[in-house]
Formats: sequence, C-alpha cells, structure tokens
Amino acid sequence: MKYTPKLLTKNVNISITHPLREFAILTAGILGALILVYVLLGFALEWVVVPRIPQSVERSLGELFLGNYAVEDSPERQYLQGILDRLVEHEPSQTLDYQIHVEENPVVNAMALPGGHIVLYQGLLDRVESENELAMILGHELGHFAERHHLKGLGRGLVLLVLSATLLGDQSGITQFLQDSLARVESRFSQRQEQQVDEFGLHLLQKTYHHVAGATDFFERIQKEEPEGPLSYFFASHPSSANRVDFLNELIASAQYPIGEKTPLDLPE
Amino acid sequence: MLDLALFLILLTVGYFAGRVTEHRHYKSILLREKASLRLPTVTSNMLPEVDQIAKSFLVSGSCVISIDYFKRILAGLRNIMGGRMTAYETLIDRARREAILRMKYEALGSSIIVNMRVETASIFSSTNQNGIGSVEVFAYGTAIKLKKTL
Repeated sequence: MKYTPKLLTKNVNISITHPLREFAILTAGILGALILVYVLLGFALEWVVVPRIPQSVERSLGELFLGNYAVEDSPERQYLQGILDRLVEHEPSQTLDYQIHVEENPVVNAMALPGGHIVLYQGLLDRVESENELAMILGHELGHFAERHHLKGLGRGLVLLVLSATLLGDQSGITQFLQDSLARVESRFSQRQEQQVDEFGLHLLQKTYHHVAGATDFFERIQKEEPEGPLSYFFASHPSSANRVDFLNELIASAQYPIGEKTPLDLPE
Repeated sequence: MLDLALFLILLTVGYFAGRVTEHRHYKSILLREKASLRLPTVTSNMLPEVDQIAKSFLVSGSCVISIDYFKRILAGLRNIMGGRMTAYETLIDRARREAILRMKYEALGSSIIVNMRVETASIFSSTNQNGIGSVEVFAYGTAIKLKKTL
C-alpha cells in the first residue's frame, strides 16, 4: 500500500458562517420570541385575568403586601386620609376602601398596592408644599387603581420572572442580557401608563377643587433634583418630570382648566 | 445596568481575543503540519515485517483548548434554538490537529506512526456561573523506526 502525504487545504469540519452573523440571527430570534410571549401574556393578563379578579381576592392580596408597612394612626395619617377621602368622593366609580399609609423612608416615592392601599414615603411628603400638589399625587395613585395597574404590574412582573427563570436557567450572562432587554420594553409600557394616570389625576383635581393650581408643582420641584440620589429610583419607570410637566400643561391648556388659589399643606407633627 | 455593561465588555473582549487566538493557532497549525508531512501517520494497525523494525514505542500528544466568552454565549443561544454548533467546530478541529502534531513531535526520527487513535473528553462545568467550556483531545499511536536498508 502506498502512503500519500496530504496536506489539509479545505477544511470540511468548519462551517463558513461569520460568528457575528449567527449571533445576530440567534439573538433576534430568541429575543423576538420572548418579547412576543411576554407581550401576549401581558395582554392576556390585562384584558382577561385582571378585570375578573374579585375585590375579595384583591383585598387579601393587599393584606399580603401590607405586612411590610406599619399601620399607625397618627394625626398626620388622618390629615392625609382626609385629603384622599375628599378626592374619592368625586370619583364615585371607585369602590375600594382607600387607605393611606406613611412609610418612614427618605425615598421620594408613592405606591398603589392591591386592596386600595396607598403608601406615601416620608421623602415625598417632605418635598410637598401645598395640599393641591399632594392631591395631584394622590389622584395619580387613584388613577392606578382605576386602571387596575397595580394588579397588571404584578402579573407582568410574575411573567417576566417565570420566563427568565425557566427558559434560561443559570446561564447568567444570557439571562441578564435578555432580562435587561425585556425590562426596557416594560418601562415603555409603564411610561404610557404613568401618562394615562397623570391625566386621570388632573381631571380629579379639577373635579374636587374646581381649579388645577399646583398640578405641576411637585414635578417641577423634583425635576431639579432628578439626576442624583435616591430619586433616580423613583423615576426609572416614569417619564421624565420635564415631560410630565409639559404634558400636564398641554392638558390644562386644552381643557381650559382654571388656576386658582393654592391651599398650603398643614401637616400635623 | 453594571451587570449588562460587564457582560457586553466580556462579550467584546472575548470576541476579539478569541478571533486573534484562533487565527494565530491555525497559522501555526498549518505551518507545522507542512513541516511534519513527511512522517506518515496512519490509523491502520498493519505492522511492517517484524525483522524490519528497529524500534517501536508509544507516542501520545494531548491538548486542552477553551472557547472564548463570546462563543460560549453564542453556543448558549444555539442551545436554545438547536442546529449546528458552529461555535464549537473550530475548537474541536484545532484541538484535534494540535494533539496530533504534538504526538508527531514526540515521534521525531521515526519512520511511521501506525494505529493512531484520537480521544476527546470535555472539561465542562456548569456549576459556577462562568462555566468552563473546554475540550481535551488526546492522540496516541505506535511509532516505528525501521532498520536502515542496505
């Protein structure tokens, strides 16, 4: 048998595809599929599941969350509750029993929790100057209840969690990459929601006080603080304050709402 | 956010470092394959006539290569979709050829290597989050030095 030495010139064992091309195709495919599933599940929750959640279930959900927030009946809380009750009177479509909770925390934030609980952080109260702007914030949170965002957000967060955990497992790099991409999509959604409830809050302010003075005050004030500190947390999923102020001013102009006298905030110590 | 930045940096570094390493390795492999072309290496187990053999001994070469971060991620994505694992193809190819070259180096001065075999083992761990994606290729055979024919 004759041995013929042969040099490997064409390598059949290696595919001639560019790795970047493959990466792009795979990422687009998987990300696309994930976003599709996420959006579809999100819509399913929004339109099918959430409107059918009975209030009893919502209340018990609320109890679940409220464990973290102490219910302390201070004069401050009663005062804030008074403002809220006045707003609720002018929004008869709302059937939940709304309650204010004050959280001793320097974070500038407010939250709408299932069961009609509104949590105000001390950091936010420290920055509010008039009753009107506080009413605007409360109206905003009531808007979340009216649109049932508090439940929808819960549902989508759950979808996101389950998706990334089961599909991607422990391959941390990929999970991180996909999760961040999905979070970006989510924040688009939530920014639209925030705008929607800002509008709700404004109309409620007009109905209650018969003028809309102070509607933009709070956003204007924190706009200056926005880039740094604990504030960035609050604004991650919200439109920038400048945008909100512009949006509200446009609404006020088009609805021709009057601007009246502001009531100073009289927080009991 | 920081995690994502780190991930993208690793991805970029992995991509370029991996490409440079692979390119260099292939260049060196081709060069050495050319140089060692005159040492016949066969998988046949037919030996020359016993009285012609001056010396015979076991030769082996092994090589461990890892893929870069970029290809690991690429392979992870491919793992979800299925299909040809192109990210791993060059890894295996390089490891195999390198191992054979090392084996040939050990057989320097011989007339032929017969009964060559190649074994592959994966060195893989998914327990920590930066799981290792490497292979070891082990090539071995019988080197034979023939008596000088007068």
